[in-house]
Amino acid sequence: MSLDQPNPSFTGGAVGKSVPKVDSLEKVQGRAEYIADLYRPGMLHGAILASPYPHARILGYDLTEALAAPGVVAIITGDDVGEGRMGAFIKDEHAIAKGKVLYVGEPVAAVAARTETEARAACRLIRVDYEELPAILSPEEGLEEGAAILHEKLADYIKVFDAGSEGNLCSRTELSEGNVDGAWAGCDVIVEGEYTTQPQAHVSMEPCGALAEVDANGRVTLWSANQSVFRVQANVCESLSLPMSKLRSLTPRVGAGFGNKMEPHIQPITVALAMKAQRPVKLILTREEDFEMVRARHPFKVRMKTGAKKDGTLVARHCEVLVDCGAFADDSPGVMGYALLMCGGPYRFPHMKAEGRLVYTNKLRFGAFRGFGNPQVLFAGEQQIDQIAERIGMDPFAIRRKNMVREGDRWFVGPEIASNGLAGCLDAVEQAAKLPRADGSARNFGLAVTAHISGLLGTGAIVKMLEDGTISLNTGATDIGQGSDTVLAQICAEELKLPFDQVAVASPDTDGSPYNWGTTASRVTYTTGRAVKAAAKKVVDQAMEQAAEMLDCDVDELELREGGRIGKVGSNSDVTFAQISGRAHWAVGGPLVGSETLVFDQPTHDPKRAIALGLPFPRIGVFSFAALGVDVDIDEVSGQVSVREAWSAADVGRAINPKLVEVQLHGGFVQGLGYSLFEEMVWDGPRLANPSLMDYKVPTMRDVPDAIHTYIIEDPDPTGPFGAKGAGEIGLNAAPGALANAVAQATGFRHNHLPLTGERVLNGMLAAEKT
Amino acid sequence: MTELLFPTTVEEAVALLAAHEDARPIAGGATLVAMRNAGLVESTHLVSLDRIAGLAGIVRLEDGRIRIGAMTKHAETASCEMLSGSLEVLRKAAGMIANRVVRNMGTMGGSVANADPAADYLPALACCDAVLTIAGPGGTREVSILDYVEDWYETALGEGEIITAFTLPAPYAAASSYRKIARVSGDFATASCAMALEADGQGVRVAIGACGPGPIRDPEAEAALCGHLGDPEAVATFAKALADQADPVDDVRGSAEYRLQLIPRLISGVLNDISKETV
Amino acid sequence: MAKKMLHSLTLNGEEVEVASAPEATLLETLREDLRVLSSKRGCNQGVCGACTVIIDGKPVRSCLTLTARCEGHDVRTVEGLSDDRILNALQKHMVEAGGVQCGFCTGGMLMSARNLLAEVPRPSRDAVKSALSGNICRCTGYRTIVDAVCGAAEELAQ
Ligand SMILES: Cc1cc2nc3c(=O)[nH]c(=O)nc-3n(C[C@H](O)[C@H](O)[C@H](O)COP(=O)(O)OP(=O)(O)OC[C@H]3O[C@@H](n4cnc5c(N)ncnc54)[C@H](O)[C@@H]3O)c2cc1C
Repeated sequence: MSLDQPNPSFTGGAVGKSVPKVDSLEKVQGRAEYIADLYRPGMLHGAILASPYPHARILGYDLTEALAAPGVVAIITGDDVGEGRMGAFIKDEHAIAKGKVLYVGEPVAAVAARTETEARAACRLIRVDYEELPAILSPEEGLEEGAAILHEKLADYIKVFDAGSEGNLCSRTELSEGNVDGAWAGCDVIVEGEYTTQPQAHVSMEPCGALAEVDANGRVTLWSANQSVFRVQANVCESLSLPMSKLRSLTPRVGAGFGNKMEPHIQPITVALAMKAQRPVKLILTREEDFEMVRARHPFKVRMKTGAKKDGTLVARHCEVLVDCGAFADDSPGVMGYALLMCGGPYRFPHMKAEGRLVYTNKLRFGAFRGFGNPQVLFAGEQQIDQIAERIGMDPFAIRRKNMVREGDRWFVGPEIASNGLAGCLDAVEQAAKLPRADGSARNFGLAVTAHISGLLGTGAIVKMLEDGTISLNTGATDIGQGSDTVLAQICAEELKLPFDQVAVASPDTDGSPYNWGTTASRVTYTTGRAVKAAAKKVVDQAMEQAAEMLDCDVDELELREGGRIGKVGSNSDVTFAQISGRAHWAVGGPLVGSETLVFDQPTHDPKRAIALGLPFPRIGVFSFAALGVDVDIDEVSGQVSVREAWSAADVGRAINPKLVEVQLHGGFVQGLGYSLFEEMVWDGPRLANPSLMDYKVPTMRDVPDAIHTYIIEDPDPTGPFGAKGAGEIGLNAAPGALANAVAQATGFRHNHLPLTGERVLNGMLAAEKT
Repeated sequence: MTELLFPTTVEEAVALLAAHEDARPIAGGATLVAMRNAGLVESTHLVSLDRIAGLAGIVRLEDGRIRIGAMTKHAETASCEMLSGSLEVLRKAAGMIANRVVRNMGTMGGSVANADPAADYLPALACCDAVLTIAGPGGTREVSILDYVEDWYETALGEGEIITAFTLPAPYAAASSYRKIARVSGDFATASCAMALEADGQGVRVAIGACGPGPIRDPEAEAALCGHLGDPEAVATFAKALADQADPVDDVRGSAEYRLQLIPRLISGVLNDISKETV
Repeated sequence: MAKKMLHSLTLNGEEVEVASAPEATLLETLREDLRVLSSKRGCNQGVCGACTVIIDGKPVRSCLTLTARCEGHDVRTVEGLSDDRILNALQKHMVEAGGVQCGFCTGGMLMSARNLLAEVPRPSRDAVKSALSGNICRCTGYRTIVDAVCGAAEELAQ
């Protein structure tokens, strides 16, 4: 291909095309490198000694035997890390247990040795002297008077919002709009109930790991499995009291995250080990450690009450949640606050009140997990909508259509809804689900709808035109497998009217990438996409100026043509990106670089509408919507639920890559299916009883329906790149609500407790038969 | 520190096990290596059974009985056409163990020696009246599967002994089936039921799995049920007799109470399946 | 440390000699000694399937296989099947159908699928699910993987 010939493979815009993911070839060839696949010269292997107690004071360590063990180079304990503490909302966490242990499985010491086997063997030789303290194993216990306190210095911790922390209360949030207490009298139907949801493990196929190395100047390079190289940098530096400029954070390919890898896991420990050993150290968790040490989805207790008129108009909802935080705040205040913001569902409720308390307990930290609190409250809320519909004899689709929020409405406490494709989602599911089963039998149908935000916090993009006119894109957004590298390249290519394969995506690197808060909150396509589009536009503008000089005309006489050309409107004469960039690099104006940073800045709370106390997210995001229908079978013998067919429709604004949206909907649904039907982390006293894949079960290929139908609804968001909004979490949210509604329809029994195991459903069936 | 030994005859294997205290046989390794990886077992000597000729494979004896070598992989058992009719229950059970890949590794001897109360072979073999051949320092002996499991993870297998084969009565034409309740495909059973119709079609042999230390079978109750398979009350009485002998535990797969509920439901369900097959 | 012993096996068509401890698993040997990295340690208990390799034509878990017992056997991983017609078709369809997300399960998944198509050229969707049910994927929801295997089977049959 000569320099002035546009690429013939270009076939129109890249946006809206299901181009294969840029990382898929290396993955099918087994060539993708994950953290465990990285090796450095002289590298040691790390291993962790975990706490056997849920709550204990550390009185001292005896490392003599362990230090003398074969292959051991360095050992760290709480004595090796300073007073620094990290945390997304409340800085309550040291790099490694210091002074106290707060859960079984908490890292207490770590060893660097020649081999992993030697490091693990040496861990067993470390002696730690503990004084046991009473363990708090539930939020209720934590709130009791005289309960043992987990964080004695809680009042002194740095907090990024008004948390209201006290005793074991980590945070509280109260939101209200209208007058709930006064509204019940005007309702014809009221349903109320108490619901519980269980902890769910992320089970990313890749366990967490990190590799750290210190250079001659004492600067650290850290590779790790993560969802944000910048959060890694912040957490390590805060907990180890390092200036951020002293740590470079990178990521190889990541074997999925789902929230598990957003905030720190063992990166601070790995860095501390490498600094002590003065050699590179790699630390990879076992699956059991990944279960016991990292984080999980919060168990919720939800008390909910909903009232409506007999024509189906929803009037009021009150929701109270009590949330188990685990030992450290992590993302918990955000999860609870977000759950409360979403607990009304995508409905117009004139009167709403949502209150929550988050309580420290001696369990591993609970944190971000796809859905971020939304599935828990939706499990209660979407069942209550169905119950109201049943009571007044209304169709589940009709009651939802009647009450759903519309474009231009305000969401609970204030944010504006600028686009809303929920009606289209409901239509798609209804039409498909109306068709009879292939075998003519009656459906056991359940429906649920949901909304989710995409947005939050800072992001950026740098678009560089290389000398030959091709493009390098650097955003700092970690692709955890969902395909953001591909989608961002598509957005960039579209804006530049270039073939998709002429955009190379740089790997996130805190040294070279602009800030990106992280791959979370369904945000990368929406927020980073915006930055990419704006940065690419700046490159186009610069190229236009160059072209105007080269073609000796005004910029407004020029047009951007497909394939990397700029020409005069109405004439054949044009210049290629290669010519422009060559000129810029070597002669006039300097290399073409466009950069953009932004922070999502639409306020969440409108004080004129609502009262909000302890709101962790002052600015959240734009809204995506979805509807999910399921048809289930119940096994007569065991009560087990299986899904025969599912219909998942989502309004994602604009599908930049429809295939990738579809796979998000499939994957989200199946993870939600596991959550709804059988996944559960079980505690046996203070100890996790099933921290292995033998005992904790996730869906296999045979446990999911073949027929998961997806419908992409496109109601473009005015601020989104090409109208796009997020799609990452919304496919999971509605699963527990839809499945619970289907089970109620099939068995005549409503379940307030997740998961809907065979045992629970069987007992529900037997109870329903009796009445 | 482990040494791996490769005997080529049963006698040699038995001698090696006797020679090293703490030695263990290793068959498919599917359980043993997983336990080693989790730091749950350490053995100074592993005696590998995979190079002993004649320990793997399924043959029909002259008298029609079927002999399955201890080293036979689940995959082979799951596709063996000799296991038909009254023995189909064993083939079905084999096909429900774990998944295809693990079935390429695990062996019947390893599974039965390990005697996980939730293992699929135990009830299936009990339903088939299998007899184990066990070789040890004192020579070879035969043990009925019904006498084999003595308590939780305790079996008739003595120190230094290995299982060499399983012998099954000659198959006859009658329906038999296996039903396993598990949280997901490939999980160990929460409860399971193996059932085979007697040759005359009047009675059944039934074994319940995962509801006690070993499979639950009750020949007396089976005799009482004989001739009354179509009578729901008789079936209920039979199911109650088995449930009364159950000693289920609460674990992450389900509660003891649920397991007790499942026993009669499984029995009716499987009976229903095999009656349908018979028509 | 137990003394290492030399073992020779055929890895991806080449004779290799590797020194390993008697209790070393094939997964450890492949990764730590031979730097064949497509087999992943997802659980080390044989459940997840990310370490699946093909030995003598059959898929097995490398995390449950002792290296010493592979002496004289034929071991294959994704890296060693780059000229394999079946694997190539599977790879192409996995990419096109969207069967690859994070990719951590992909190597093992392909080993199970490769064996299936070698034994059953035109499997039903149920047969695919059955054969691959020992390989866990937490990202895709499986649908696109089944699509890919069926698509590859169809292409190979032509
Ligand atoms: C992921 C996974 C899922 C599984 N799911 C199921 C399931 O659903 N149902 C089920 O039933 N099983 C299941 N299993 C267990 C599987 O069937 C194992 O293969 C079996 O339990 C052990 O067989 P093995 O040949 O691998 O024995 P090994 O692991 O080699 O040995 C197991 C034990 O038996 C001893 N041993 C082995 N052979 C003999 C012998 N001939 N004589 C005396 N002692 C011997 C060993 O010393 C060891 O203590 C699962 C295993 C895995 C890894």
